[in-house]
Amino acid sequence: MHEFDWSSIPNALPFLWDGMKISLEITLSAVVFGIVWGTLLALMRLSSITPLSWFAAGYVNLFRAVPLVMVLLWFFLIVPHLLESLFGLPRGTDMRLTSAIAGFALFEAAYYSEIIRAGIQSVPKGQMAAASALGMTYGQAMRLVVLPQAFRNMVPLLLTQGIILFQDTSLVYVSALADFFGAAYKVGDRDGRLVELLLFAGAVYFVLCFAASRVVRHYQNRMKTA
Amino acid sequence: MISMNKVSKHYGSFQVLADCTTEVHKGEVIVVCGPSGSGKSTLIKCVNGLEPFQSGEIIVNGVSVGDPKTNLSKLRSTVGMVFQNFELFPHMRIIDNLAIAQVKVLGRNPEQAREKGLKLLDRVGLRVQAEKYPGQLSGGQQQRVAIARALSMDPICMLFDEPTSALDPEMINEVLDVMTELAQEGMTMMCVTHEMGFARRVANRVIFMDQGRIVEDDSKEAFFGNPRSERAQQFLAKILHH
Repeated sequence: MHEFDWSSIPNALPFLWDGMKISLEITLSAVVFGIVWGTLLALMRLSSITPLSWFAAGYVNLFRAVPLVMVLLWFFLIVPHLLESLFGLPRGTDMRLTSAIAGFALFEAAYYSEIIRAGIQSVPKGQMAAASALGMTYGQAMRLVVLPQAFRNMVPLLLTQGIILFQDTSLVYVSALADFFGAAYKVGDRDGRLVELLLFAGAVYFVLCFAASRVVRHYQNRMKTA
Repeated sequence: MISMNKVSKHYGSFQVLADCTTEVHKGEVIVVCGPSGSGKSTLIKCVNGLEPFQSGEIIVNGVSVGDPKTNLSKLRSTVGMVFQNFELFPHMRIIDNLAIAQVKVLGRNPEQAREKGLKLLDRVGLRVQAEKYPGQLSGGQQQRVAIARALSMDPICMLFDEPTSALDPEMINEVLDVMTELAQEGMTMMCVTHEMGFARRVANRVIFMDQGRIVEDDSKEAFFGNPRSERAQQFLAKILHH
């Protein structure tokens, strides 16, 4: 029977908190960039200009058909070299965080674009017709009338996707970047207390994600009654 | 003001509009009626280019709707349209529904647009609702707001696509009253409607459609007094007995 020894956790808390900050930073940046890029992809996909809609469809299908870990690895291996040669940065600059954010954002955009596309299509066609009848251009009608309604309907799904993304940030361990999971792993490894640290990290992920999904559900219910 | 010449439209082999030709003069009120699926809504949506058509020509105030070079947005900003399902923007207050296109399309300043919006709300008897959201209003009220919204653009003519069909019976009259008033002020109007009482009161002409064709296009006296086609006689017999 394994004897639990939790004593290495209190001292490691500042280090773990630094890791959590990295996890949150990746999550937030990837959500923001993912939604912006995902919206553009969704608009391209729905566009009547064939090359744009093909490009978006190809992009979405590609990223949804490859494992996230692989995308992240590509970014860790390729992007730093690319940036080094493009901007003449000194070799060995630590770009793991930037690469991670870029990888997650581009990957998540594929998922966000599908959510956003469904959201746009959930707005009744008559709204676009009414906006056009008032003389708005397609862009104005989208921006002022359709997208605001689409996003309001989509908020729960977008947040849920954000929660999944937060869990997935633990995959950056492939680059040895010390996110929350990576930090916990390092401490556990150092102190020979891997089981305790991973249980603790799991508990933290569970509490945060469970609480966040309750908030989403609460919001969803409130929207239904409103 | 509006002139249509041999307008045709089809989806694949299904003919929606066939050689529709008619003319609406300034200040005229035209009622378009006919059985469902006869193409009357499609016809009226062709006038501001919401529905494309394959052949024929529509000229609105000297501008050809079907011409690819025409700036459709600009044309539409001069033609008011009211829809069956109101189509107010649910995420904006009533007053913002009235102001947004004035500001974003016509470039009026927000203060002026608001001022004008309130004046028009007053006119349809809904000024007190200005700060509410569309979902808080009854169907009849929403449709009156929709009319006011269209008027806020100072249109040269108004199109109505079954404006009372989605309303509870007790709300129909409040909307028809607003439309009647508008007609009496000399607004050029084209209305798709089954409200024959309205047609008798205010229409100058009645267009009767069946299977994508304009079957009758006559003064209301002639249409109600002595419809020429058998199809129109049957239609009138059915709806006037209710």
